[in-house]
Amino acid sequence: MELLLQQIANGLSLGMAYALVALGLTLVFGVLHVVNFAHGEFYMLGALVTVLVVKSLGLPYIVALLIAIVLVSAVAWVMDIVAVSPVARKPGGDQIVLVSTYAAGLIIVETVLAAIGPTPIAVSGFSGIVHFGSVVLTMHRVFMFAAGIVMICGLYMLFTRTNFGRSLRAVAQSDYAAKVVGIDVERIKTLTFVLAGGIAGLAGGLIAPIITFNATMGLHAGIHAFVVVVIGSMGSIPGAVVCGLSLGMIESVLSIFLGQHVAATLIYSLLLVTLFVRPQGLFQGALR
Amino acid sequence: MKFVIPAVFVAALVAAPFLPTYYQGLAIYACILAIFATSANISLGQLGLISFGHAAFFGLGAYAAGLLNFYTGMNYWLAVPLAILPGVALGALVGLASLRLSGAYFAIATLVTSEILRLVALNWVSFTRGPMGVVVHRPREKWLEALTGRDFGDLYLMLCILVLALVLFVVSRVNRSLIGRAWVALRDQPKLAESVGIWPLRYKVIAIAMSGGIAALAGGLFVPRVLVLSPDLFSGTLSATALLAAILGGRGAVMGPVLGGIVFAVAPELLRVVDEYRLAIFALLLLVVVRVRPDGLISLFPRRKTVHIRPPSALVEITPRQLPATLSIEHLSRHFGGLKAVEDVSFEVRRGEILGLIGPNGAGKTTCLSLISAFLSPNSGVVRLGQLTLSTLSSHQAAQQGVVRTFQHTTVCMDLSVYENVLIGTHLLLPETTAAAVLRLPAYQQRECKRQALAWAAICFVGLEERANELAGSLAYGEQRMLSIAVALATRPGFLLLDEPAAGLNHTEALVLARLLTSLREKGFTIAIVDHNLRMMMKLCDRIVVLHHGRMLAEGDPVTVRNTPAVIEAYLGTSDEPEKQGATDA
Repeated sequence: MELLLQQIANGLSLGMAYALVALGLTLVFGVLHVVNFAHGEFYMLGALVTVLVVKSLGLPYIVALLIAIVLVSAVAWVMDIVAVSPVARKPGGDQIVLVSTYAAGLIIVETVLAAIGPTPIAVSGFSGIVHFGSVVLTMHRVFMFAAGIVMICGLYMLFTRTNFGRSLRAVAQSDYAAKVVGIDVERIKTLTFVLAGGIAGLAGGLIAPIITFNATMGLHAGIHAFVVVVIGSMGSIPGAVVCGLSLGMIESVLSIFLGQHVAATLIYSLLLVTLFVRPQGLFQGALR
Repeated sequence: MKFVIPAVFVAALVAAPFLPTYYQGLAIYACILAIFATSANISLGQLGLISFGHAAFFGLGAYAAGLLNFYTGMNYWLAVPLAILPGVALGALVGLASLRLSGAYFAIATLVTSEILRLVALNWVSFTRGPMGVVVHRPREKWLEALTGRDFGDLYLMLCILVLALVLFVVSRVNRSLIGRAWVALRDQPKLAESVGIWPLRYKVIAIAMSGGIAALAGGLFVPRVLVLSPDLFSGTLSATALLAAILGGRGAVMGPVLGGIVFAVAPELLRVVDEYRLAIFALLLLVVVRVRPDGLISLFPRRKTVHIRPPSALVEITPRQLPATLSIEHLSRHFGGLKAVEDVSFEVRRGEILGLIGPNGAGKTTCLSLISAFLSPNSGVVRLGQLTLSTLSSHQAAQQGVVRTFQHTTVCMDLSVYENVLIGTHLLLPETTAAAVLRLPAYQQRECKRQALAWAAICFVGLEERANELAGSLAYGEQRMLSIAVALATRPGFLLLDEPAAGLNHTEALVLARLLTSLREKGFTIAIVDHNLRMMMKLCDRIVVLHHGRMLAEGDPVTVRNTPAVIEAYLGTSDEPEKQGATDA
């Protein structure tokens, strides 16, 4: 029982990383109506920047985290200019964006591999442990979960209370209608893409002390985010958060009884069944 | 132009044995990727479904052939054709699933399928030896090597070129047959496809089963190059390679994926000089190509001009298929949530008449038409055609029974020529199998000639013969309306249901349309027509049914209906309407 609670608690922090990555993916899909194949690479870059800043500049972790968010957002902005917005506008663009973002992702991974190499790099986050009854968590996991919650609440405020948020939701519902009422649709889309990149960068920076950085971590995270986003309905933010957290917990708990691969097979089979029973995911409805 | 591609293949076959070993290996890889990309392009290019898991079929083929060889000692080259079967079977399953899943959901379902297979291969150690992999011996055929005086590499490459040529031959023939037309119709205008009787399930299953079989073949061919079966054969990178090669090369043309496959095999090798940055630079090139040439590399080559068709020598007459009965609509109701779109409507469409369905906006006319053509199922009530209950059928089955509808919004495949559009309409004329489409025996060609003759007759009937070779998208609006009628006529419908055919037509065009419909009646067609052009309707129709707020308001000949007070009230309002008073005051 204690082990179960412990794994659930560990799973929540891992799930928070899934949720944050998935949130960006679902945001991009909801607003830009394209699938960003390179989204996992933002997460990898976030971890990379954090690790490098702490290791070579010797700056504190929290500063590294902030730098990671800024830099990854900048990369996302460049990617939008180069590989997303000019392509998505063309007819049949949603399919071509798959290729252009895949290519962009490949450029990032291969450059990192060539420059840094495939060896994992570890970094330490916040030290110390916290007791919740019988459950013991590292300080870093607690911080990670809290940061995720703050981020999600912040996003909620952003979407519901600000002009930008209202415009974003308008674009999510209809490009055309948003244009008619005078919203600069292209700008909103670019900002959304940058925002999604920044969130993934944060997630990467948060996870780096837990799973150690390696150049291919983005691919794995990308697939997981995809699973989360599809089960949680493409474009649905609550869906991404709830499913991300659940996936993290299910994975952790299953790891008590099953090997990692068997657990993954089980999760994927679950996804297939979900797709057949509810082809539109569990959290139907667009970004609102 | 027609002989360029076969000539290239013959040249490649002749040159193959003279290549140095390194280049032979590269060419083999290029051929296999080309076959694999061609397979991915059947679902991507023909059905518009993005599959992220094509490696599932590829790996299945490789493992099936390799394990057959490993466990039973079967000759490897006999095992390869057998290995196509599991690919076809899985493809058929995915095809079934594709009915429910589309877009991103289809993509993720395929991705997960291949990932599950990868994990199974990785963990079923007693059977697949897991991550260690199964070593397959180089399947040399010594007698053939002695006979031809060529070594294994030469023969292997020649076999790959031959298989690629065969795959392209099969795919291009199927693409240009009734099956390929059904795919394009399902991709571009799924509703139109169903309205002319195309059964989505059958054609999606054929497409993805074929795609899966070809990918499995590519997988089987790949094993002698790597000589080990490893779970990486199911990897996402491999799936992405097939998909991206198809997009990079060009989805629109048969040769596109081939070109993409070659580039994907060769480019990373050419970039070896830049060492560890080569994949990054390859990705950069990919990005540039996609930005500059979204239609793929194939668009750099001159396009083969659309074949100009000649009118068939023997002209056929457009006639309805004989139908014995009247179409009776009995107590039909359909609700959308709280909205009662159609409520307890009963009338008949009698053979050989033109029945008009009129009513103010939102009266439920189009819903009624959709219910009759089985595009919607009723909440209660039935539509009968003689003994047959239509309302329990699906829409393509209704079309098979001769009940064919058109759509309010112009629904034609804009990227196809007028002639090709109408050929889609001839789908139900004669049944066809995939094998017949590939073999093209004289019997098939006769059937195709009959379809062409019928299509041509339908085009002539609506007066579009001058524009038969032009793209539907380039036609004027009125001509597109006529085209959609021609497509429906090519099914030889017993009952033709027209949804606002005159909408947006000018006076002259509407007159032409009316004349056309009158002559259709003379030929024995039965027509039900929804339209707002009352002047035309009154002149044209034998009987008129008036709907208002989903209910029947009146039924009878045009004069009676025109003089029914309830109809006048529905259209013009009562004389003393208080709202109007209010409006003038304000």
